[in-house]
Amino acid sequence: MERRKFLKQSSLASSLFFVPNFVKAIESVAKNSLGFKKLVIVQLAGGNDGLNTIIPFTNDIYYKNRPQLSIQKNNILKATDELGFNENLAPLKNLFDKGYVSIINNVGYPNPNRSHFRSTDIWHTASETNEYLNTGWIGRYIDLYGKMPYSGIELDDSLSLIMKGNNINGIATKDPAVLFRNNLTPYFKKVLNYQSDAHLSEHNLGYLYKTMIEANSSAKYIYETSKTFSSNVEYPNNPFGKQLKTTAEFINSNLQSKVYYVSMGGFDTHAGQTNRQNKLLQTYSESMEIFVKDLEKNDTFKDTLILTFSEFGRRVKQNAAGGTDHGAANNIFLIAKNLKSAGFYNEVPNLVELDGNGDINHTIDFRSIYATILDKWLEVNDKSILNKSFSQLDLIG
Amino acid sequence: MKTRQLQHLFLRAGFGLGFNSLTNLKSKSKSEIVSNLFSDIHKTRPLEIDLSEFKDYFVENFKTGKLKSDKKTMMALQKMSREKIQELNIAWINRLNHPQSVLSEKMTLFWANVFVCRDNSVFDIQNYNNTLRKYALGDFRQFVKAIAKEASMSKYLNNKQNIKESPNENFARELMELFTLGIGNYTEQDIKESARAFTGWFNKINGEFILKTKRHDYGEKTFMGKTGNFDGDAIIDIILEQKQCARFICTKVYSYFVNPAINKSRVEELISIFYKNYDIKELMEYIFNANWFYNDENIGVKIKSPIELLVGIHQIVPVEFQKQKQLLYLQKLMGQILLNPPNVAGWKGDKNWIDSNTLMFRLKLPSILLSNAVINLEEKGEFEDSFETYYKTQRKRDSYIKITKSWEDFDKQYSKLTPYEFKELLLVSEIDKDTDEFLSNLKIKNNQEFCVQLMSIPEYQLC
Repeated sequence: MERRKFLKQSSLASSLFFVPNFVKAIESVAKNSLGFKKLVIVQLAGGNDGLNTIIPFTNDIYYKNRPQLSIQKNNILKATDELGFNENLAPLKNLFDKGYVSIINNVGYPNPNRSHFRSTDIWHTASETNEYLNTGWIGRYIDLYGKMPYSGIELDDSLSLIMKGNNINGIATKDPAVLFRNNLTPYFKKVLNYQSDAHLSEHNLGYLYKTMIEANSSAKYIYETSKTFSSNVEYPNNPFGKQLKTTAEFINSNLQSKVYYVSMGGFDTHAGQTNRQNKLLQTYSESMEIFVKDLEKNDTFKDTLILTFSEFGRRVKQNAAGGTDHGAANNIFLIAKNLKSAGFYNEVPNLVELDGNGDINHTIDFRSIYATILDKWLEVNDKSILNKSFSQLDLIG
Repeated sequence: MKTRQLQHLFLRAGFGLGFNSLTNLKSKSKSEIVSNLFSDIHKTRPLEIDLSEFKDYFVENFKTGKLKSDKKTMMALQKMSREKIQELNIAWINRLNHPQSVLSEKMTLFWANVFVCRDNSVFDIQNYNNTLRKYALGDFRQFVKAIAKEASMSKYLNNKQNIKESPNENFARELMELFTLGIGNYTEQDIKESARAFTGWFNKINGEFILKTKRHDYGEKTFMGKTGNFDGDAIIDIILEQKQCARFICTKVYSYFVNPAINKSRVEELISIFYKNYDIKELMEYIFNANWFYNDENIGVKIKSPIELLVGIHQIVPVEFQKQKQLLYLQKLMGQILLNPPNVAGWKGDKNWIDSNTLMFRLKLPSILLSNAVINLEEKGEFEDSFETYYKTQRKRDSYIKITKSWEDFDKQYSKLTPYEFKELLLVSEIDKDTDEFLSNLKIKNNQEFCVQLMSIPEYQLC
């Protein structure tokens, strides 16, 4: 890497006590230049069954394919003449009724892959189905615009592909105090205290030192900023609720992070789906409603967009174990205060013309949604991040 | 041979060198040492774990007719197989710590990230792994042909579904894109034609390859300018005729064993050796004997993979895990679980191992393993997990990795070394000037403590 570029990318947060001088001199470069907008991405990991989430309750094909699994009309929270919410999504329906939710049906990509790993990679990297990228779309955003690891935070202890960039990666933490403790052991502190700008290598060794310095300053910045705000709203007592609570604390403490990524597990319902999925949807929507309330209370909801997706939907036809197998296109949710497209964005799923596996065909490429979010919400050049131009949707701003 | 060059050779051909071995080898010549390295490769045995319990389950249930192919039974079997694969993962790491031939094992590890494959069947993936081991220093042509016939590969890249009536192109595409030629060195038409040549390639229940003649397309194919009634083996032969194939493999070998920054003229040199016979052993002998391999620019410039880091620490201070699953946890947090590659393109390596989280964990690893530092990070759940399992922590916060450390072994070799000698032994990369000053001002109580301190600076991440 060129030394100039290298130095530029080392721009760090303020309030550091051990950083080299060159870092202090340029610390203000990226600060505040990206506006206030936040993006929260939630993955329902495992493949959520979209058809039992938003139910096409007038469609006979739905009922025929799911003799045991289908949800009857009278157990549905009707939203339109054709579609209704799973009743465990009542809290989400509340948000929907306030005009805070936009549901986009039939989202997917050409030649869908049905492996959790691969399809998650595709959603994370925004790649073609036959293309293997080693950076995520948020990682590339951080590379080009965020410039600091804490620009993107994953609410976990290790970093997913979505957050990995070429030169800069996001940072993962579900507990800033733990992150801080791990990074600032007395020994590491001593090593870094000796660091000056004069000697940093431009090769791999320099990259390691640069990453170490950035990790330490990010950990310190996240910890010290987020501890100034403690949420007094009560979240459901489960790990997903905890992740959202921490996210709210990050946002409400005015941390300069732009993107948050949360993965909620458990959606791979091959067997005994009904009870499992009901409980998951309840957990998801209860936590989400509280999260929105918490943000509203602190006047940060207007600057926050929440995207919920799953790596794939599930097969239309139920299987023999009272579950469903991996499918293709699925619905996604957008939650925000001022959506242009509140309600249902597009047509109901077409259950007549399925693909060769009996799965729903996509009509909207997920990368069109990414392009819209990047351009209209984060206000950056979507093509530079997605490496290609995708038609945008009329969703926001 | 000079100490630093010896260390370099063994870091690349293996996982480092202890002080005693180093002392023994020092007086020998380079050619002698390199030929020693190759002399024990025939001693390598297949890696096999005990699968009898699993086999019994099948046999027993077949006899009593209880084995059903219903969803529940299949899921139970898959779960059992997944657990056995974890056992195989641990057995593999133990093998790396105690190899019959360290070079064979290093090559196997390398090929596992070229011919990338994953499978939920422990039988098939164990066979697959041993095929990698068998050909790791053998004939590349036979190697590719063997890989193409493996049950795990056939499943992983859908060649199982590749039949005359409806060809599946996945294997043909990845064979060229990721295993032999690289993107842009073939046409879409080449993929279509070669996919036909691999139709009808199946495997029996025991994994053995079988050609289903009725499913195979015996018709004429035109591939890379040649026309004939090619089968899969013939396609592989035509691929190997392309110099690009030798170039593709030599580039991978160079960046893994020599330097992640490619030197084109060196790679051309390797191609001229490799293209002649596609003899992997010949190629590796050439590299390790080449004077330029030992140039300063190639020493200590590669970022260790998590496995190289783990096994490397073990070379200096032998550690035994009391809870072997904790070994999986460490791999997971560092982003490399053996037998579980992220996708068919494999791990990208070098810089891609490093982000804020993995680096801090890697820097902390020596104190976790050797000084009872607490672990307070949780691993991610699996896609297949229920909500509860997905978030379940195997360890309580602030717990320890339970291991037995052989400090006695360490002391025998290292207690008498001066700090300078010890530093020279553990670190091969250039040392950051500021850190070097820090180290020289450090009060050193004993070499045990100094060992952990040296392993906890960024320089130790390089090999």
